[in-house]
Amino acid sequence: MRLWSISLRSVRIRAVSSSLTALAILIATALYAAIMLMADQTRQRYEGSICGFGSVVGPKDASQLEIVLNTIFHVGHAPGLFRMQVYDDLRTGRIGNRRAKLRYAIPQARGDSFSPFGFPVIGTTDAMFTAFARGEVKLAFADGGGWQFGDTELAQLAQELAARETAVRQETATLPPPPQLRPEWRQAVVGSRVARALSMDLGAEIVPVHGKPGEFGSHEHPEAACKVVGILAPTNSPIDNSIFVPLGVHFLVEGHGKGAWLPETPPGKSPNDVLEVKPGDLALSAVIVDPLDHFGANILRRELSTRPDAQATWPADVVPKFLQQIGSIADVLAVIAWLVLFVAAVSIAVAIYNTMNERRREIAIMRSLGATRTQISAIILGEAALLSFLGAVLGVLACHLAAWALRGVVEELTGVWLDWHAFAVRELYLVGGVTVLGAVAGLLPAIKGSFTQVADNLAPNS
Amino acid sequence: MLSLHDVRKTWRQGDHEVVACDVGQLQIDAGETVALIGRSGTGKTTLLHIIAGILRPDRGSIEIAGERIDRMSEGACDHFRGRHIGMVYQTFNLLQPFTALENVLLGALFGRGAGGDAPDRAAALLQRVGLGERMHHRPSQLSVGQVQRVAICRALINEPELILMDEPLGNQDRQTGGEVLDLLLQMAREGNQTVLMVTHDPESAKRMGRTVDLATLRRVP
Repeated sequence: MRLWSISLRSVRIRAVSSSLTALAILIATALYAAIMLMADQTRQRYEGSICGFGSVVGPKDASQLEIVLNTIFHVGHAPGLFRMQVYDDLRTGRIGNRRAKLRYAIPQARGDSFSPFGFPVIGTTDAMFTAFARGEVKLAFADGGGWQFGDTELAQLAQELAARETAVRQETATLPPPPQLRPEWRQAVVGSRVARALSMDLGAEIVPVHGKPGEFGSHEHPEAACKVVGILAPTNSPIDNSIFVPLGVHFLVEGHGKGAWLPETPPGKSPNDVLEVKPGDLALSAVIVDPLDHFGANILRRELSTRPDAQATWPADVVPKFLQQIGSIADVLAVIAWLVLFVAAVSIAVAIYNTMNERRREIAIMRSLGATRTQISAIILGEAALLSFLGAVLGVLACHLAAWALRGVVEELTGVWLDWHAFAVRELYLVGGVTVLGAVAGLLPAIKGSFTQVADNLAPNS
Repeated sequence: MLSLHDVRKTWRQGDHEVVACDVGQLQIDAGETVALIGRSGTGKTTLLHIIAGILRPDRGSIEIAGERIDRMSEGACDHFRGRHIGMVYQTFNLLQPFTALENVLLGALFGRGAGGDAPDRAAALLQRVGLGERMHHRPSQLSVGQVQRVAICRALINEPELILMDEPLGNQDRQTGGEVLDLLLQMAREGNQTVLMVTHDPESAKRMGRTVDLATLRRVP
């Protein structure tokens, strides 16, 4: 028998009061642990995920944060569209006057998703697999490989689409035939988490849904069903949650064509009033650009700032500012969590203090057996520490359980897929800190208990 | 073994000073068994508490096994009590949440330590008093006589030189109480332990080696 076993027994015989006290600690600890977990994983995830996205070119009228969050982290809806001409100008060096050297420029069009999880279906080119690189590492395949749809196919398709659209708008007698969705374009490459979550293998079929599942107006595009030909290796970034299809599939999906034209429009006219559209008038959501050096980045920044239709955002600038905001919010929440912890600690003090009167005889008996004041204090402090420790451990576990249960919602809101089983060393410190806090809270009852009068309290009913 | 000289304890009640205990001289040798008798309210229990170091006398000296406990600090006195004095109360004062074995071990925990062979010694003691089958029962699951035997085991677990008993048979029938007392005295004799028992019961007092009336111990002015 040890002193702590007496503390443990005291906790057990006051099961209801002990449980409620531990519950208060549990909630406070879980709250604090959840804030830490969210803040840490958001920071790690966001900082790690911008690798490879030197610059994201997006529509002029969207906020930079919106463009970055949507393009890289799949948060919310695409904040707008801009002309494919911008991409052509970037690719051919017209923007940057050929002095801004780019490692790559990759167009993207968004708006569709797949599965109840709402994984985004991104129309792009095969440069995503052949050129895009996170650091120096290109995307690797766990299974299968990429599809082929490059700038040549894109230019040809844009030409055909523009000719057809112009003829429709001019109501010419003989319309050019509509471009067909070629069978070799009906292919998809999926991220590792998509494959894992949907138990997908090569050959599985993906039917894009316009919008997000369950949203008003969302509908399936069975005509654009694609076969999975490649599964990407994990990157621990939102790429894992992505489905990449050829940009041609996106443009040829029924309904995408009508809103996909952004011709240069005279003042007072709508884009639909323009009778002639050009291939560069097709609409894109974003272009991922990676300048080779700072010089190129500066030119790109300067030149795109003067364009009326597009702007360059720089994730390396935007994300830290965003994280700083999140960090500030996390700091405020952490202070609140500490206050909740403090209140919980006070509740321990009150709960144990209130038992001191009924425990006077028990303490007097132990003192008569030779227990010193210090030993009595140690038993009561041990009880407070034990309750706190129990509450703190369960709190950390509850936090991870909540992370597991809510990871889908959190991803939807923030783009961060919580790694619920990633336990941090900080959580050990948290458990230790809460235990010490609880023990400190036990000081007052411990002092009261240690000063119990022995002789007066040895008889029953005294 | 136990020597008291000029011990006095008073309480204050308003402006009055009430003498709770007043002993001129008391000497008990090692291995002696003594019954302390006296009318109610004459301070028998107070005297036991003073001897145990639970109460501090206003004056006087108390020497147990060569140690002046009235000069000890409170902590030292607690340690001394735990190691050298065993106590049995009229109400037995077992802790209800603990089993019989654990109650005995509590005596060891605050005495010579509950580690090592203490659990074996506690179990052996309980076996000796006939509670081998009930050592994992809680006090509420035992009869009064059994509870008293557990209290005796708890008092003996540290093999103390001095055993103090405060009307230990008050709550049970004479026959059962007598048997338990005989058992305790036998065990005390085997260990050459000194026993001082406060009692109102003449039959119990007769079982002890000597009887002392507290009234006769009062200090001569």
